[in-house]
Amino acid sequence: MRLRDRSEDDDLRQATPRPSEGPGADSLAQARQRADELLRAADEAIRRALSTDSQRFLQANRQQGGQ
Amino acid sequence: MPAPNLPKLCGADIELGNFVLGPERFRTTCYEAARAVLRRIEGISSGWAAPSWTENSARGWGASAWRPASQTSLDSYYDSGRSRSYRWSEYYQEWGRKFLPANGGCAYIDLDHLELCLPEVLSAWDHVAAWHAMLRIARRALEEANREQPPGRRICLLVNNSDGRGNSYGSHLNFLLTRHAWDSIFDRKLHHLLFLASYQVSSVILTGQGKVGAENGAPPARFQLSQRADFFEVLFGSQTTHRRPIVNSRDEPLCGFLPAAARLHVIFFDNTLSPMACLLKVGVMQILLAMLEAERVRPDLILDDPLEALACFSRDPALQARARMVTGAEYTALELQWRFLEEARRFADQGGCEGVVPRAAEILSHWEDTLGRLEKRDWDSLARRLDWVLKLLLVERALQQRPRLDWDAPEIKHLDHAYSDLAEGLYWSCEAGGLIEPVVGAAEIERFLCEPPEDTRAWTRAMLLRSAPEAVESVDWDRICFRVRGPHYWPHYRTIYLDNPLGWTRRTSQPAFSQGGKLTDVLDALAPGGQPPAAPASRATGGTAHETARSV
Repeated sequence: MRLRDRSEDDDLRQATPRPSEGPGADSLAQARQRADELLRAADEAIRRALSTDSQRFLQANRQQGGQ
Repeated sequence: MPAPNLPKLCGADIELGNFVLGPERFRTTCYEAARAVLRRIEGISSGWAAPSWTENSARGWGASAWRPASQTSLDSYYDSGRSRSYRWSEYYQEWGRKFLPANGGCAYIDLDHLELCLPEVLSAWDHVAAWHAMLRIARRALEEANREQPPGRRICLLVNNSDGRGNSYGSHLNFLLTRHAWDSIFDRKLHHLLFLASYQVSSVILTGQGKVGAENGAPPARFQLSQRADFFEVLFGSQTTHRRPIVNSRDEPLCGFLPAAARLHVIFFDNTLSPMACLLKVGVMQILLAMLEAERVRPDLILDDPLEALACFSRDPALQARARMVTGAEYTALELQWRFLEEARRFADQGGCEGVVPRAAEILSHWEDTLGRLEKRDWDSLARRLDWVLKLLLVERALQQRPRLDWDAPEIKHLDHAYSDLAEGLYWSCEAGGLIEPVVGAAEIERFLCEPPEDTRAWTRAMLLRSAPEAVESVDWDRICFRVRGPHYWPHYRTIYLDNPLGWTRRTSQPAFSQGGKLTDVLDALAPGGQPPAAPASRATGGTAHETARSV
């Protein structure tokens, strides 16, 4: 198997979602606005998670290997 | 000649990440957290107490004293080839297994992880509803457990598959399969195994939960589609705790002694939360396995190196990486999925899914629609149905809003875990905010909080457990042993064998419960002379449900 040759910059660029290819600019803008509004639902959860000590969370989270 | 197809009954045994946030300790708090939650899940003890592993010994030894030996010996046992007659629940790696009269599923602690086992279902939609019902049951137990925690301590349950530090835990699906098909995959026809592996590997674009970073010695990555990709090291094998295989060959039918039925133990997939991802994960596998049973295998859809392709696809959120097929062609995961869809649609159009995969046409339609959205890179709508897309959008939103953070920041890995936090995770906030596309209604999820599926043996299991909980001596997926009053002083024991997972449905068993008699009357009515009640015509063969599994 051949992986495409990609630089680290390419990886970052590709990891960024690209705009939808909707039928028209208006509907695209509306769709993105709707998505933005919906994603706001998670803003409070993001803020809440990041208001705690992330290092401490990651340390406590250490699991045993399972199946 | 392949045997007639069996309905693609599906079970699931799913481990969660668990720990206590608060105490500063050198050792993990996994076992402590899992046990506190399990204690608050209502169920009936399986009764298969392991001789060397009891609550007292657990207290005395501490959580880490026994593990290395158990992990090694567990896989050694399965590797030894004796697993077909072996009962999982008799092994001492698990603790506290209890079956739920509410819905026929069970819960226990497996290698320090709370494990939720869904009742057997026939439909992928029922899987989605049962899965989210079990998560709600776990969440209620978690809330109760946390109310009893001292100030400054909180038990966390994460519906994910790795801790980001090299430890992974499974999200296993189980599918009913003919013994003939099972033998073809593992003993006779290597291309069948490779076909299955190639499908699974390319399916990460649908079934991945998404993960920040890499682990287990894998090359660095900012974001991966799959939680588990870093942990698959071999193509197939029976082991599950080390050198994990893409296709697991554990042979534990849980169908009594039915010679013609097998159970494919699928350890490949991630824990998914988005209902559409859950639906596609199970529904498409049902169709793929029906194709394998019918020997509808296209050699040109076989990857040259599935392990390398998995690493490649998982690290490519842009969906542009190509992997080589045995034919020399190179496909992206999306292109490969289109080809699997094309073949599956042809198979279904010829009647291959009839009586085997409920609502196959709808599954195919959702599959096609989702691939189409991936083709268009319609991320906004995909966030409503695929976990990895939603997680990636949320992480990027956090990065955008907090310029001081980068992909390597602990806060970003924290968000990765927080996505599936059962108490207050990002996914649940999105669900509450109406962002997630529903697949089943709230009422269907509610139903599985307190009712079993009606079209599998889970119904009879749940009803028997409700009928005489105090008399249950032991219970497992395919049998329940009751302690009943004997003619003299000593009790005697009666075991009812629920060996046919397609039998013992509500339709066949309800008359036995409707008479309102004693337990012995119910048992007599259910299995006079040890035989199950007459069942209606099976969709698979036209015989009785019980006969179906025996006759294939």
